[in-house]
Amino acid sequence: MRIAFKAGALAAVAALALTTAACSSPASTGDTDGASSDSGPVNLTYWAWAPNMDKVVDIWNKSHPDITVTVNKQDGGDAAVTKLLTAIKAGSGAPDLMQAEYQKIPTLVSAGALKDLSKLGAASTKSDFTAGAWNAVTLGSSAIYAVPQDTGPMMFYYRKDVFKKLGLKAPATWDDYAKAAEVIHKADPTQYLGTFSSGDPGWFAGLTQQAGASWWSISGQSWGVDIDSAASKKVASYWGGLVQKGVIDNDPMYTPAWNAALNDGKQVGWISAVWGPGVLAGNAGKTKGDWAAATLPQWTAGANANGNWGGSSTAVTAQSEHPQQAMQFIKWLNTDPTAVKALAQIANIYPADVHATDSALTTAPDFFSDQSDFYQVAAKASAAVQPFTYGPNVNVAYSAYTDAFAKAAQAKQQSQFLSALSSMQSTTTSDLKKSGFSVK
Amino acid sequence: MTAVTQTAPRPAVAKRRRRDLRSRVLTPYAMLLPGIVLFLAFMAAPILYTVVLSLQTVKVEGLGLGPDSRSVVFAGLENYANSLADPEFGASVLRVFLYGLIVIPLMLGFALLFALLLDSKRSRATRFSRVAIFLPYAVPAVISSLLWGFLYLPSVSPFVFLANLLNVPVPNVLGPNLVMFAVANIAIWGGVGFNMIVIYTSLRAIPSDIYEAARIDGATEVQIAWRIKIPIVIPSLIMTALFSIIATLQVFAEPTTLRPLTNSLSTSWTPLMKVYRDAFTRNDIYSAAATSVLIAVGTFVLSFLFLRVVQRRAFGQED
Amino acid sequence: MATIATTPVLPATTRTRRGHAERPSAFGTAILLLGVVYCLLPVVWVVMASTKNGSELFSTFTFAPSTHLLDNIVELTQYRGGLFWLWMLNTAIYAGVGALVSSLVSALSGYVLAKFDFPGKGVVFGILLMGVLVPSVILAIPQYFLLAQIGLTNTYWSVLLPQLISPYGIYLARIYAAAAIPTDVVEAARTEGAGELTTFFRIAIPMMAPGLVTIFLFQFVAIWNNFLLPYIMLGDDHLFPITVGLSGLLNQGATVPALYTLVITGALLSIVPLIILFLALQRFWRVDLAAGAVKA
Repeated sequence: MRIAFKAGALAAVAALALTTAACSSPASTGDTDGASSDSGPVNLTYWAWAPNMDKVVDIWNKSHPDITVTVNKQDGGDAAVTKLLTAIKAGSGAPDLMQAEYQKIPTLVSAGALKDLSKLGAASTKSDFTAGAWNAVTLGSSAIYAVPQDTGPMMFYYRKDVFKKLGLKAPATWDDYAKAAEVIHKADPTQYLGTFSSGDPGWFAGLTQQAGASWWSISGQSWGVDIDSAASKKVASYWGGLVQKGVIDNDPMYTPAWNAALNDGKQVGWISAVWGPGVLAGNAGKTKGDWAAATLPQWTAGANANGNWGGSSTAVTAQSEHPQQAMQFIKWLNTDPTAVKALAQIANIYPADVHATDSALTTAPDFFSDQSDFYQVAAKASAAVQPFTYGPNVNVAYSAYTDAFAKAAQAKQQSQFLSALSSMQSTTTSDLKKSGFSVK
Repeated sequence: MTAVTQTAPRPAVAKRRRRDLRSRVLTPYAMLLPGIVLFLAFMAAPILYTVVLSLQTVKVEGLGLGPDSRSVVFAGLENYANSLADPEFGASVLRVFLYGLIVIPLMLGFALLFALLLDSKRSRATRFSRVAIFLPYAVPAVISSLLWGFLYLPSVSPFVFLANLLNVPVPNVLGPNLVMFAVANIAIWGGVGFNMIVIYTSLRAIPSDIYEAARIDGATEVQIAWRIKIPIVIPSLIMTALFSIIATLQVFAEPTTLRPLTNSLSTSWTPLMKVYRDAFTRNDIYSAAATSVLIAVGTFVLSFLFLRVVQRRAFGQED
Repeated sequence: MATIATTPVLPATTRTRRGHAERPSAFGTAILLLGVVYCLLPVVWVVMASTKNGSELFSTFTFAPSTHLLDNIVELTQYRGGLFWLWMLNTAIYAGVGALVSSLVSALSGYVLAKFDFPGKGVVFGILLMGVLVPSVILAIPQYFLLAQIGLTNTYWSVLLPQLISPYGIYLARIYAAAAIPTDVVEAARTEGAGELTTFFRIAIPMMAPGLVTIFLFQFVAIWNNFLLPYIMLGDDHLFPITVGLSGLLNQGATVPALYTLVITGALLSIVPLIILFLALQRFWRVDLAAGAVKA
């Protein structure tokens, strides 16, 4: 027999299947805040990816037998958000609590994935956080979609032994950085001061944030997209120039090759964030004691501007049946001194709580044990973070970054870095317009 | 399965007994029920659901942040039009065709060569070879891509290490020109063994007296292979080719796993990667559904054409 | 074919054309062994790499072994309270139970399609066969939505159920049933008054057994290989199969490279049971995709 392709049979199967599919169109569950009033013991699930978060949560579980929180460890921010959005569309399967990166909040809010915590008493935590972090979880509105958990002010790590040998000082400006990159690469052609990573859109966003860019904006009822602003162009063309010259590497970060390069001294600097020491300890363990931490080089000598790379909040999902209990836990996790201390020391993150942080972070991370002022430098970096607004389609902009800048980095052409930026801008804008968002 | 000359017993024999409608129609369908129910629930319904999704889209109002600012609306064929007009989609389809032109001939060529060598009485170490070459089939694509990824990366690759010792320049296989071969190699590595077993199985089904006669006539092993063995395994080759075409159009895991290692693989490198990106990264399952339907239809048309071209030899036995 | 037959594929072997057929051919064996080297290369690599500790992994020559295999296994076992072994167990459940039930469904369907004559048979088979063409990547998302309707996501069922149906398995089972079960035998059983299911279980299954083992292995590997379905369905990593678990570790390895050694050791340990399974059942590995056609 041959492959039967008879219209009648197809129609029969289609009809059968249709009855199954018809009752399955996904609808997000209604926003019934504080619906549950049960006082019995409740179980909350918490999707998080910060290391050892389960151990931090254990502290809570010991003292709160009525509200048990179970951590479901996730691969990372992107994977968790992907799954959450699918669960929201499907109408079930979402956890109660979610570790959400700041840049994902507008996307999650727009998908109706998060509960508004303003009626659950979240406002009382406002004084614990910087204005910037608070703005990221409220999107400048009266709603509160999450409570800040940790932040990622950018920092610059470099091999002080290599710098010393070549008579270089920690770069105060990006000009200094470019010169240092050239000196280092000339002295040893296998060495680079850094790499331009097409795999890390958050890293590039942070660099443009430092230069004064804000990729999205809200004015009235419209979104603005400003990815190819003058500030972003300045950053793109700067890195494009370094890559074109060949004094900076062009391969992505976070590959086995990059790890190896950090460990064997081929990469002698890393533009990273406050959480960098944990990564360096893992991938460049044998270089411990050779590194120094500094604030990011500046565009204007003497200025103190910075960007964020990473950082996340804790949110309650729209499908949670116990929002009140969830809110209780979130408040404890992110503002209670014991919890914040545990976040810093067990989960190795830089807590967003400004009061608790001073007391929780006193000794430098182990990898930088010879730099006693590590957290003073971090505090300076944290205070200098510039305002930045994320839009509802960060994911689109970020994946456009990955594709466009991969091509540019591969081509090693400064001009392509600029066209990559405008391709990001047009992809992001047209995606917003296509979905019907009002775009300025 | 060993007797080639004997024709298969025809199910029509069952007709000899006249039975009532109940046992003639209801019994087979009752026995097919588990298969049909599972098929409807987990294949037909999802497929149909995909089609429904592909005709919809999300419309947002204003900032899209309020609880009721987002609604699903009927979109007609808009998603299909957008997909077809998307240059990324066209590029990914073209890429997959090139990729198939590399993978399928090489994979099946090697599979046939190894199967013939295994079948040849003059080869040694055949038992060991058969198991060893088949082994990669046991390695999931995610893991095999991970292993090859480590072997490709210039700074950790043993090949680059050796080449540097010998002072030979090596091209970066993850660079833009060679990356397709790097991905193809993983697919070939994973697929040669399985296809070899398929072809080898049909070679073993040939009674050896067929070529004893040829040997007596003085034919060499190579001549026997070309004149007798290969023509006999043609149906198997057709089927392996068909399934390889389908698998090629669906290539996903290998490039996705390699992507973080290089600048040369985009998020829409193959059509299914684009579907994945649209559905998961861009959170637009509606256009992803439309692209999926296009891929499925394309696969179907291509398989159908392929079978037409080879004169439906493989399915011809029972009509 | 006739025209091609005049051009030998292996010029080197033609030189030995007068050689007796039983004489070993060094050239043919050498080519075969080259194939073996190619196929074993990454496997040897993973064996070597799993003997290294974190710092050796990127610093010593790739194929140079070290002495840390046991340390790595111990470390992997201790990772989050033995989670790795739970992943292995889950994989065994998903692939083992899934493949077993799937083979049974395939066998029953294939048997009916081969040995019964009934209206609509061609249509049913044709539609089932079209299922072969649909990529599982495409199915995973709508399958999630449908299972979410009945609250089954993030359970063992969500990974097991969708993989019980295998159009490919049904296709193979039909071929095996047609080739292995003489219709007279089925007829005889019916004449003696045996029920259809009894006939299937008592007579058809034993006759199809070798083919069913192939279908079982086939589906086992397919489930084992299916990454996206469990990845989407499961949120709780205690339910993960090994591929999703290892890939998660690998992603975390980007920021915690110490996990790379665990991933590599895990990759090695995860393919060992499959290799053993393959070796144990290798004589059943006869994938006859076109048996019917040969006979036509």
